[in-house]
Amino acid sequence: MQDRTYYVIDPQGKLKCRKCGVNLVRGKAKFMYLDNGFPVELPVCPVCGFVYVPEELALGKVLSVEKALEDK
Amino acid sequence: MSQIQERGSTHVYHVNRISKEEIDTMTSRCVYEQPAYCNAACPLKLDTKAMLKAAAEGDFKKALAIYEKATPFPLILSMGCEAPCEKKCRLCEKGDGIAIRDIETALAKYGEQTKSGGVFRMKKKKTVAIFGSGLFPLFLAGELEKKAYPVTVFCEEENIDGFLRSAAPFLGEEAFAAELKRLKGMDIAFEFGCGITPEFFEERRTGIDVLCASEAAAKRIFPGAVCSGDIMAYEPEKLIMGGGSGVMAAAFGAKKAALTADRLAQKLDPRNTRGEEGACDTRLYTDLSAAEKLKRVPNDSGYTKEQAIEEAGRCIQCHCDECMKSCAFLKHYKKYPGLLSREIYNNTQIIMGDHQLNKPMNACSLCGQCTVVCPNGFDMAHVCHIARQNMVSTDKMPLAPHEFALMDMLFSNGEAYLCRKQPGFEQCHYVFFPGCQAAAIAPATVRAAYEDLCARLDGGVALMLGCCGAICDWAGRFEMHDKVKDFMDAELAKLGDPVVIAGCPTCKRELGANTKAELTGIWDVLSEIGLPEGAKGLDRPAAMHDSCGARGDEHTQQTVRAIAEKLGCTLVETEYSGDRSPCCGYGGLTAYANREVAHEMTEKCLERSDAPYISYCMACRDRFAREGRESRHILELVYGTDAGSPPDISEKRYNRLSLKNELLRDIWGEEVEKVELGYKLEFTDEALKMMDERMILKSDVIAVMDSERETGEAIEDADTGYIMARKRSGNVTFWVAYTETDGGYLVHRAYSHRMNVVRRN
Repeated sequence: MQDRTYYVIDPQGKLKCRKCGVNLVRGKAKFMYLDNGFPVELPVCPVCGFVYVPEELALGKVLSVEKALEDK
Repeated sequence: MSQIQERGSTHVYHVNRISKEEIDTMTSRCVYEQPAYCNAACPLKLDTKAMLKAAAEGDFKKALAIYEKATPFPLILSMGCEAPCEKKCRLCEKGDGIAIRDIETALAKYGEQTKSGGVFRMKKKKTVAIFGSGLFPLFLAGELEKKAYPVTVFCEEENIDGFLRSAAPFLGEEAFAAELKRLKGMDIAFEFGCGITPEFFEERRTGIDVLCASEAAAKRIFPGAVCSGDIMAYEPEKLIMGGGSGVMAAAFGAKKAALTADRLAQKLDPRNTRGEEGACDTRLYTDLSAAEKLKRVPNDSGYTKEQAIEEAGRCIQCHCDECMKSCAFLKHYKKYPGLLSREIYNNTQIIMGDHQLNKPMNACSLCGQCTVVCPNGFDMAHVCHIARQNMVSTDKMPLAPHEFALMDMLFSNGEAYLCRKQPGFEQCHYVFFPGCQAAAIAPATVRAAYEDLCARLDGGVALMLGCCGAICDWAGRFEMHDKVKDFMDAELAKLGDPVVIAGCPTCKRELGANTKAELTGIWDVLSEIGLPEGAKGLDRPAAMHDSCGARGDEHTQQTVRAIAEKLGCTLVETEYSGDRSPCCGYGGLTAYANREVAHEMTEKCLERSDAPYISYCMACRDRFAREGRESRHILELVYGTDAGSPPDISEKRYNRLSLKNELLRDIWGEEVEKVELGYKLEFTDEALKMMDERMILKSDVIAVMDSERETGEAIEDADTGYIMARKRSGNVTFWVAYTETDGGYLVHRAYSHRMNVVRRN
């Protein structure tokens, strides 16, 4: 089955991991909530694996999916 | 602090906390769907209320169409009907009832007749024959024609004029012409000049499926034929018959007979599934106070169209919306409690997909106002409370709406909890229980009250700073609630089971119901021992807001008023006070689960008066102050301790903790070691506002910063110049955007999400 990605954010070289001193890259991540998983692509540190969730995403798409799942 | 387990979809056990019968009994109390008095009185089931509404709007076509549903011959009916509806009109109690019959006549006269299906209307295959003439055959022919049966009438009259004239000799020329036109427009076959004899009947009945006759004709065909009134038929011969005297009797008889014809045509028992026929009782309640136009529009020689509109306009459209008028929650969802309860019950019991009623069930403040204002005592709070418990017990309740409040309760009964005897006392006769919100919002008032009680009461006064358990009860978390009950009982036992002096009516009720303790309110104690020195009321008139915790407790309501008056306050009376008081929006955790509805509830409270508000529940005080209204708790006035502007969510926690620490230090001589952060943490105003709105505590931000200092995990955003760090605490991930300062951090933004994010390959 083809790997489906629900949401993609590209860091475009503007985000830097402070711990590892490298730029974040577009990487594979997964949101998990109430036994559901959603594959996404988010800015990720290629070294330590820090996944960045921007504010717009957290209060937008993520919040609306949370609410939808809560009412399931 | 311990964590609350998020629901898991695999762990489903079902404990039904309300039965279908209970919910049926409950929903039947709501009379919103009950028929209006006029509708109920009509044996023909005319929707009089809707007809009058359309007439009042001048829409005679629509009004007549409603009337035509009840009868095929509107003019005959309106002229000969005994109008039982008029006798039941509620306006009769205050003045003249609506002249419904005169309005009906005007409708039949001026209204445009609804066109029937025309040539394209499919006729039924079963045929009907009607023998004889009179009102019953006339109405029956009309009813059956409406049902699309091919009908043939066999009568003695020589023509259709004669048939109509013999049925309704009382019609004037104009009305006769109108009804004749109507009769001629119907698809009914006639055979005139028939001598109705048994032989004629036998000859013509061949090939006919349903046979009907006037009473006289039936008796001629079958001497001794008796009509069974419930189905309008001579049963041995399956001959539909009827007659009797009066237009109403004929019209109603024809309606019943038409239903029997349906059953017989389908070869079914005519007594089965007939539904409710005839006039019925109604349990509707309607408020007559707004009824103004009590005099009938005079009727000399029949209403003109304008007069009929005016008379119909007097109708108050009887309905019950007592709860909707007073409750912001029901108003918000625009659903009357009977329907909303049914939907909420189905939400937990039947629905397998989306639970769309989660939001409404969590938006009720469980305040019980509806039960007081409803003429039948409908208890919406019980329905929503049980539904929440059901959702919890079936593991369907999301944690998100209530988690903050539940964590706050754990904080109150954990880190900020304090239970101590008065110094110098082995046993205490009393324990002061101010309530979690009092300590959070007005800590100085709590301290002044405790010191005053210690000084003026004999026998020792212990202190308990904590939560009574109302929070988890409201959230439907019954297992958690049981634990709080046990905890409270054990703590009170340690103090020697003293009399609890509650500072909050909800705590008083909650502890009274769940512990063995003897309860009293601080207002009762104060009215007994008198007010302390310097107690002073407001120097301008104020409105008293009754707490929903004191609903049904007139003694408390009156005692607090007496204290306010002793303080020199002038109280202004408001609508919906005492037992009818609305909730401020905090009750039932509405403020956490649905801010929009909570805000509407607060506005509903405040619209009653422009004066400052005095309350005796700290949550009410807080919510009114947040809306910008001058708001005081009665104890602030008693102790001269103005709690000032309302604290944000972090300050509420800080206040509880520092009250505990200060009291421990000053009263019990216990020094609490201060935990130093080890770095400077500052917030921009925007960040503080954002955190309060997003329910993010300073302690959540501290946890993020501590984690960043320990792990070094953070990123830099070149666009904003902010550093972003995060920490998952319990079920939530908190993010902080900050810049570094000399020796610490300046927080610019904070946000959170409940979803957990992980890397994948």
